[in-house]
Amino acid sequence: MTHSLHRRGTRESLKEDYIFLHIPAKGHNDAGHEPKLQEFLRIALRHDPKNIGTILLGNMYSHKIEEVIDAARGVVHAVFDNPEAVTAVLKELKEADLGISTVVSGIFESVDECFEKAGLKHHTANFSLGIWGNTKRLPPDDILEVTTMCGHALIAANLVKAMVAEVKAGTRTPEAAAKALAPQCACGIFNPARAAKLLAAMAAK
Amino acid sequence: MKIDPETCTGCEACVPYCPVQAIQIKEGVAVIDDDECVECGVCFRSGACSVDSIQEVPLSWPRVIRAVLSNPLIESPDTRIPGRGTEEVKTNDVTGRIKPGFIGLALEMGRPGTGTSFRDVQKVTRALAGMGVEFEPQNPVTFWITDKKTGKIRDDILNEKSLSAIVECSFPLDKLKAVIKQVQAVAQQIDTVFSVTTCVKVAPDGSLPTDKIFKELGITPYPDSKNNVGLGRPLFQFEEVSS
Repeated sequence: MTHSLHRRGTRESLKEDYIFLHIPAKGHNDAGHEPKLQEFLRIALRHDPKNIGTILLGNMYSHKIEEVIDAARGVVHAVFDNPEAVTAVLKELKEADLGISTVVSGIFESVDECFEKAGLKHHTANFSLGIWGNTKRLPPDDILEVTTMCGHALIAANLVKAMVAEVKAGTRTPEAAAKALAPQCACGIFNPARAAKLLAAMAAK
Repeated sequence: MKIDPETCTGCEACVPYCPVQAIQIKEGVAVIDDDECVECGVCFRSGACSVDSIQEVPLSWPRVIRAVLSNPLIESPDTRIPGRGTEEVKTNDVTGRIKPGFIGLALEMGRPGTGTSFRDVQKVTRALAGMGVEFEPQNPVTFWITDKKTGKIRDDILNEKSLSAIVECSFPLDKLKAVIKQVQAVAQQIDTVFSVTTCVKVAPDGSLPTDKIFKELGITPYPDSKNNVGLGRPLFQFEEVSS
């Protein structure tokens, strides 16, 4: 119920982070769904996504884009860093009428605005009530802002720290560091554009 | 996962990739702590090892559940869904899984990044079972609950760990306050963390049935959200309820 939810950060930063999921319902409309997922990815690619991926293969930083499209099965993802692109993708999806469930994650009010501009409405919503339990075990908030962009928690806090150290030392740019993190997030919901800004800010401290 | 001590050069390149810090350098070579390793496969897939010392090894029951829950590239044999989750909100426009008047609750144990033991998972399933919730039948964790009335999890997996495990359930909205209080209590009794997700059908007028309840509980949801936009077909026909 969660992997594109629970991203941490300020409202300002989260306004540059939107994730699409395109997924058939097993036993309802999954027969022959693969071409529809491929069409979704092609629509997404027309609007400069910061990442695309398909579960069971990987994302555009671990594989070629055509490989990701060819392997589309089960569920596919696309990430954007601006609401204009989200609205444009939604308008194309509405027109394409693929009949496959579509989910958009992001700040509720921002997503709401995109839905309205595309002539669509919220159907069902997930909300995060935060992290509970023994929170003393968590890494610092600025690290979490990067690691939580992988909903399966596959980006290690220590790897983020290593990338920050490299940016600080001038051996990697923030953009290159973000692209080095991206392949670990297997299904492709990591946002390297936002991550580069966060890494640069951490390195500047 | 295993690192071949014969070929490992001890370069340490793989060490920072492990999400649960299970790789350490001992006597000049990298070693994986079997108890801490959750079989997520990140070290293997990362390509960090220049001499291919990191190896995937076949897993048998019960250790295989570590990989099923921690590696999203593996499809669960029970749910036939990759990763540790379900379709939940993602296909609610077609399946009608979460209906008006009900709420879905997911407690993602071990996320973000701390991992979880199944002893901690069982503390949470027991706490929720006592509230009379319905555990999501398609969730892998539910397959391993041997008694839905008590939340008891099968004994042979209690010593296992995973990067995360989602305890997923639903119940009538009027139980939400009591369930949240129970969850707040059990949160004090575990060694790990969990991320808390709620799932509701949005009313036709765009209102959220949980707003008033969260306000009364003094809980402010985080700004991010996950929204099904109702493009799936055939569209499930809900009977709306008055709030």
